[in-house]
Amino acid sequence: MTGVHTTELHWLTAAEATRAFAARTLSPVELLQALLTRIERLDPKLNAFIRLDADAAMDAARAAEREIAAGRPRGPLHGVPVGIKDIIDVAGLPTTCHSKILLDNVAVSDAVVVSKLRQAGAVILGKLSTHEFAIGGPSFDLPFRPARNPWNPGHHPGGSSSGSGAGVCAGLFPLALGTDTGGSVRNPASSCGIVGLKPTYGLVSRRGVFPLAFTLDHVGPLTRTVADCALLLDAIAGHDLADPGSAPSTARYFGRDLMRGLRDLRIGFVRHFHETDMPANAEVTAALDDAARVLQAGGALLRDVTLPSLNEFAAVNRVILGAEAFSIHAPWLRGRPGDYGQLTRRRLLEGAFYSAADYVGAQRRRAQMIAAVNEAFRDVDVLICASSLDPASRLDDPVETARTYPRQARTPFNVTGHPALAMMSGLSDAGLPLSVQFVGRYFEDATVLRVAGAYERDTEWHKLRPPIA
Amino acid sequence: MDKDVIIALACAAGLDKAVAEFPEDVYAAAQQALGNAGAIAVPTDPADEPWPPMVTGPGP
Repeated sequence: MTGVHTTELHWLTAAEATRAFAARTLSPVELLQALLTRIERLDPKLNAFIRLDADAAMDAARAAEREIAAGRPRGPLHGVPVGIKDIIDVAGLPTTCHSKILLDNVAVSDAVVVSKLRQAGAVILGKLSTHEFAIGGPSFDLPFRPARNPWNPGHHPGGSSSGSGAGVCAGLFPLALGTDTGGSVRNPASSCGIVGLKPTYGLVSRRGVFPLAFTLDHVGPLTRTVADCALLLDAIAGHDLADPGSAPSTARYFGRDLMRGLRDLRIGFVRHFHETDMPANAEVTAALDDAARVLQAGGALLRDVTLPSLNEFAAVNRVILGAEAFSIHAPWLRGRPGDYGQLTRRRLLEGAFYSAADYVGAQRRRAQMIAAVNEAFRDVDVLICASSLDPASRLDDPVETARTYPRQARTPFNVTGHPALAMMSGLSDAGLPLSVQFVGRYFEDATVLRVAGAYERDTEWHKLRPPIA
Repeated sequence: MDKDVIIALACAAGLDKAVAEFPEDVYAAAQQALGNAGAIAVPTDPADEPWPPMVTGPGP
């Protein structure tokens, strides 16, 4: 399996594109036209889009072109196309959540993150595929087809932010927003070999995003490079008084430490997640060991760290998620159960069977888990651990998908709210991406990006491109 | 969990239609929920509070 090194227009990063716009060697209209041509050719194979809003995007690109030419830059993403997961409101477009339930649910206003993107000058391209209500799984019984993996369209691209992952990976757009309640930004990043960040809980507003589980939901960026991830986080982070989970953080300039390197940074390796709790695929394990060696070679001080078991983190996540999601979906589950896809219906119905004691018990255990992770961060600055424990399975193999989907180490950091980033760490013999995860202290998202940036510089994985033509 | 208990719990939650049309989904969900809840070591110290803690604010 070989990837292709290339510098074609559709592979420009957001940072490269904005530099080219400033230098007047490229215009936002030229970039958008190139991406629309690529979308027209590839999206029928990938199903990244639920709704492409080409006309509005072209209007925005033309406006950006005029403003840049007039020397009136609007923000750090001026003229850069961004795709939006279809549980996030974009004014005037339906927020379907990839579901029959909300087919006609036209948003009257932008979500806060979309409003912030517009303020930064971004061009909103359209709405992207997701697992139904960000919970189901790759499904063929929904009103829109499931997204496919650009590395092999016979395989799933991860989810629930499936279109976000597939589209960024395939060069349909350089930036996308996803959401992450049990790993849904980091899963497609892992399956597609790109970068996905679940920021610290409360750093990014959730207002205007259809909720899945109030105390676990995060909005986060998916990009092809770590620098672009920092750039997108800069645009969407910020306190929102109208979001009850929003934190009054003043953290900014998330890319400030990207070039600092790793010298003397203390990194804890959570080996038991993938070695004993849920033993990983051998290729995933080997790639994680390689990643740890790269960090050490870069000057980091590595030590093993023990946290509560991955299986218990997963159980706590599912009880809390199930109970909170049921409180949102109960009216539709009672009146329109047949309008959900089967995977979603089964997952949401779980919530009917958790008692109040189950929910409060999970929240009490959660407090202990948060304390355990915070305690680990007394001795280390960043954690390294697995993300996906297997490469992506085939879309037409629901049994294997059901077996491998829950085998992941992302839910711990939805339970605790710490910032966590997943990125490519190798390629399997079958040509599918492998992944690694970096985790930081609360509001030290910049330190997570610092480690990811150093790892990216010291490896070549981000230069590989999927073989899809 | 006994199927009769599952049906009783589902109906108590107002899910009669789901029980009638998708009984296998209801049974599968109940078994999954049982397994998840049983996998958690709930704190035994009565003083261990849930997350997040109750927080008061400045008021309206």
